[in-house]
Amino acid sequence: MPVMATSVVAAAAAAAAPSVFSGSANVIAVGVLLAEFGMFRQALLRDQVRLYAVQSALISVLAVVVAAARQLPDLYALAGLSAGLKVVIVPLVLRRLLRGVGRDSGGPGWTDIAGSGALSLASTVLLAIAVAAFGFFAIAALGIRSPVLPTAALEMSVAVALVAFVLMIMRRDVASQAIGFLSLENGISLAALVVAAGLPLILEVAFLFDLLVVVVVFGLLIRVHHGKAESLSTADLTSLRG
Amino acid sequence: MLPVAVIQLLQVVTIAAGAPGVSGVIARAEARLQGRRGPRVLQPYFDLAKLFRKEALAPEGASWVFLAAPVAAMTCYLTVPLLIPVLTSYGLPLGYMGDILGGGFILSLASFVVAVAALETGSPYAQLGASRAKTFGAITEPVILFVVFTVALVTGTDLPYALAATVRSSAGQIVRPAHLLAAAALFMVILHETGRIPVEAHSGTSEFGMIEEARPFEHSGPYFALLKWGSAMKQLILYTILLNVFVAPWGLSATTRGADVALAIVALLGKAAVLGVAVAVIDNSFAKLRLFKITEFVAAAFLLSVLGVLTLYLGGG
Repeated sequence: MPVMATSVVAAAAAAAAPSVFSGSANVIAVGVLLAEFGMFRQALLRDQVRLYAVQSALISVLAVVVAAARQLPDLYALAGLSAGLKVVIVPLVLRRLLRGVGRDSGGPGWTDIAGSGALSLASTVLLAIAVAAFGFFAIAALGIRSPVLPTAALEMSVAVALVAFVLMIMRRDVASQAIGFLSLENGISLAALVVAAGLPLILEVAFLFDLLVVVVVFGLLIRVHHGKAESLSTADLTSLRG
Repeated sequence: MLPVAVIQLLQVVTIAAGAPGVSGVIARAEARLQGRRGPRVLQPYFDLAKLFRKEALAPEGASWVFLAAPVAAMTCYLTVPLLIPVLTSYGLPLGYMGDILGGGFILSLASFVVAVAALETGSPYAQLGASRAKTFGAITEPVILFVVFTVALVTGTDLPYALAATVRSSAGQIVRPAHLLAAAALFMVILHETGRIPVEAHSGTSEFGMIEEARPFEHSGPYFALLKWGSAMKQLILYTILLNVFVAPWGLSATTRGADVALAIVALLGKAAVLGVAVAVIDNSFAKLRLFKITEFVAAAFLLSVLGVLTLYLGGG
């Protein structure tokens, strides 16, 4: 009896495993997606920005991994640049722009964005899981194969973009919506790594600097909104003013 | 060379005899982390011995169910170690009586029986605990199911031995996201099932936050001892499943030699103690969630397990 049992076990173990490279690349991509989900529950503006920085750092790490494993030296430059911009400069600019926000209004928790969700956290996460699953199935149906990264990473990138939309729709504070938009760009970067890792560096750099403009515009919008409504909540935008 | 039947029996004995010790290690580690000296590691054994010597009382109006439940639950906990890889990396004859789902059913039968006994007592706290345990048990079940789906997709079976062999087979199997996500989700479920922070304060005296701990409130003497022993065994069984199937299926005996099996016993208890210390660290670094926030904790575990299945099913991850 044990002999037969062992052979069953051995046969099962022989099933194909992905290589260590594609496994770890997928794990980093999953990390990016989990960071996106984490943004649903952050209660402080500062933590939200920090989580965005973590997510961007994961993308840079993935770019370095791909550069090393697939001999694409361009990607080192891209990883360095995107890390410098999205992990350091963008969070810095955001924090600088939002420094005064809420402080003079005197409330305790001046950067408190907790409880801005339209649904409860658990329901939002379930909804986002459904949306992400849609992304997974849609990309799997397209059957895109990339020479650089496993398809699962592309599925993950689309899921990140879709979950970012859910974040922007479900959280009713301008800060989370801005971060949602920026992390949407992170999803696109991930997709670009999968399908267009050999894209000329100059194009990627141009996209990155576009991002910087977006950050400044969002920062100003948040400031203006806060100046008028004295809160970060978008609920105040629904009432008409004479 | 030990007969296979003896090894099978040793699996049960290891779990039964080692479980209070693992609880003792956790209690001790927790106390040290809080700057207390803490009870001795062997304290749970003395507690059990004391309880077995005491007189048993039953609330008025409680039927035979109340007294049968601890025995029935203990029987379940003694059955599960037959099914899972506790000491050996090869399947033992009775190990194929049930798969992961089978083991899960037996564990939930035990928890159901204890809940029924708690309802029998008429005591509000025991009933509160039982009702909460069942409510939250219902929402952690999908997580377990998705973890089982992951195992099934990876190995083509749902035998715990097969997954352990797969994990040992290559590094690629360890770093794949499906494996890591399923293990993380299972770990969160184990924190929930063993009544640890962030779900429940393990050693607290606040009845309002209690779930698992509140259920045996009305039991006493040997019956209470059986319930306490049973919950320690459940904890070690769940740790064994996490360690020997998902996270660290090394150190198991590949032969029937006595020395190898003895080494496997030491390895299992050592690994369980390390995991217990990790759990104690988590206990001390997080706050207990409010009761209504437990759904968020479970939703996070569900997210992990669903992503595991999705990456596996659609991306081969």
